[in-house]
Amino acid sequence: MPTDTRRIQGPETSNSPYDFCPTATSDPALLEKQRLDGRDSAQMRPLFLRAGVISQARGSAYIEMNQTKAICAVYGPREVQRREDFSLKGQLTCQFRFATFASQHRRQHQQGNQEKDLSVQMLEALEPAVCLHKYPKSQINVYVTVLQHDGSVLSAGILCASLALASAGVEMYDLVIASSAAMYNDLTISDPTVQEEQAVLSRVGKGSSGMLTVAFMPSINQVSAITSDGGIQFDTLNKTVRTVIDNCQKLYPVLQQTLVKHIEEKKKGISSK
Amino acid sequence: MADVNLSEAEKTFILHSVQDNFRDDGRSCEDFRHMEIETGLISNTNGSARVRLASTDVLVGVKVQLSPVDPENPEVGRMEFFLDCSANATPEFEGRGGEELASEITALLTRAYGCPSTMDYPSLCVLPGQQCWLLYVDILLLECGGNLFDAMSLAVKAALFNTKVPNVTMTKDEGGIELDVSDDPYDFKRLDVTGAPLVVTVNKIGHFHVVDASEKEEACSLARIMLGVTQTGTITAMKKEGSGSLDADSISDMMESAKKVGVLLNKSLLKALGEEEEQGTEAVGFLR
Repeated sequence: MPTDTRRIQGPETSNSPYDFCPTATSDPALLEKQRLDGRDSAQMRPLFLRAGVISQARGSAYIEMNQTKAICAVYGPREVQRREDFSLKGQLTCQFRFATFASQHRRQHQQGNQEKDLSVQMLEALEPAVCLHKYPKSQINVYVTVLQHDGSVLSAGILCASLALASAGVEMYDLVIASSAAMYNDLTISDPTVQEEQAVLSRVGKGSSGMLTVAFMPSINQVSAITSDGGIQFDTLNKTVRTVIDNCQKLYPVLQQTLVKHIEEKKKGISSK
Repeated sequence: MADVNLSEAEKTFILHSVQDNFRDDGRSCEDFRHMEIETGLISNTNGSARVRLASTDVLVGVKVQLSPVDPENPEVGRMEFFLDCSANATPEFEGRGGEELASEITALLTRAYGCPSTMDYPSLCVLPGQQCWLLYVDILLLECGGNLFDAMSLAVKAALFNTKVPNVTMTKDEGGIELDVSDDPYDFKRLDVTGAPLVVTVNKIGHFHVVDASEKEEACSLARIMLGVTQTGTITAMKKEGSGSLDADSISDMMESAKKVGVLLNKSLLKALGEEEEQGTEAVGFLR
């Protein structure tokens, strides 16, 4: 039977089976004693990083925080194509994408609102760190793809992108370190997983609960981005900002070591040729 | 946004004025400019408001529509924000020029209003699991004079205050439930906006920070933070904008200012809206 290939074979609208599951979000108050993956509330996930994973790109990096996995490529600096975009300051562009299979619900190929929002937030976080005045008339493109989404994607994306920018040899004031926390009344949960994020965000409006992500440049002690979501009491938020900045300080050596390792490997590669 | 070309001397002047807590238009660092608010100007909408904050001019229209519920949240109403940056405001917005700004502002408003305590979303659900009210909040930017985010959030809150959602009667038929939207213009319910947030932008200029920056002051500031603040001082959204970075200590000072100003602003807005409603003065419209 001839079929019209241009027509979508299947119903025009469909629902994900997960919509019909009873949402089994646990009470975030329980997370104080025992988190689902056995961490205590202030503990972050182990961080695995590797630079130079995409050979074609100028710089690249891969990040793993248990089940959150992301990969980033940096291209440029290259010439700005459109003449009207000419500027003596370099331009940085960021694209944050989820792989269609990254989350529980399948995502569309087109960039959704959440992805656009995350792209802008990532750009805000990286822009203050890059010495854009050193790259007149050129652009630097950063592409982050989340392969697996298990919470704290924005901070994973920023960490990965800042390592990729550094491995590309882009001049920066400092590495950008990002970290997230979920808040529920007086409880602060560092580096939440997607279940913990949902548990907290489903309680939004009942008491004080929400999410916070901070991007920080440790050696110059500057915050490059800060973003929060949910309804949070002012004092809790203020306190959590401090906690998250402290967490960023803890991650700093990991990125530095990864970068040093990457450069040593590169050196070895050159000398063996 | 409209071009502001400041010389180094002008920038220094603004910087010093902020330092002395006496800005170039006579305000102190935590003062807002004069603003005019009028609601119910546009008869084709369910609610509308216009806010003029010095030379920033924003018009908001709210239209309500029955629509299927969101499968992920089947028991609450929905709200969607759209922003049209008119090329009247600045030629840069011509064509798709304003899209980036528009998506940035709508994203922040969506986030600020995303917290369930901000609005009574369950009351906007007509038939749980099936039909709910979808509020289309359309913002039209008519003139840029600095501090767009705050002006827009003020206009949105005023328009939601003014919104009249028609009452719906449900009748059970053999085929299912039939919804009948009342066409009586006096048969409606109002929305409760006491929990609705306002966005407060705090601009860092030199070592100090100001709220409600004019366009000139915005040109002097490299970084700003925006907070969605409710009347009770709860923060429903926060973000940093601009190419600069901020010191960790100054962030908490800026947040403190934003919260203080936001709580006061919320109170005075609701008071002004209440007064306007009581007086029932004739519409002034666009010509003053």
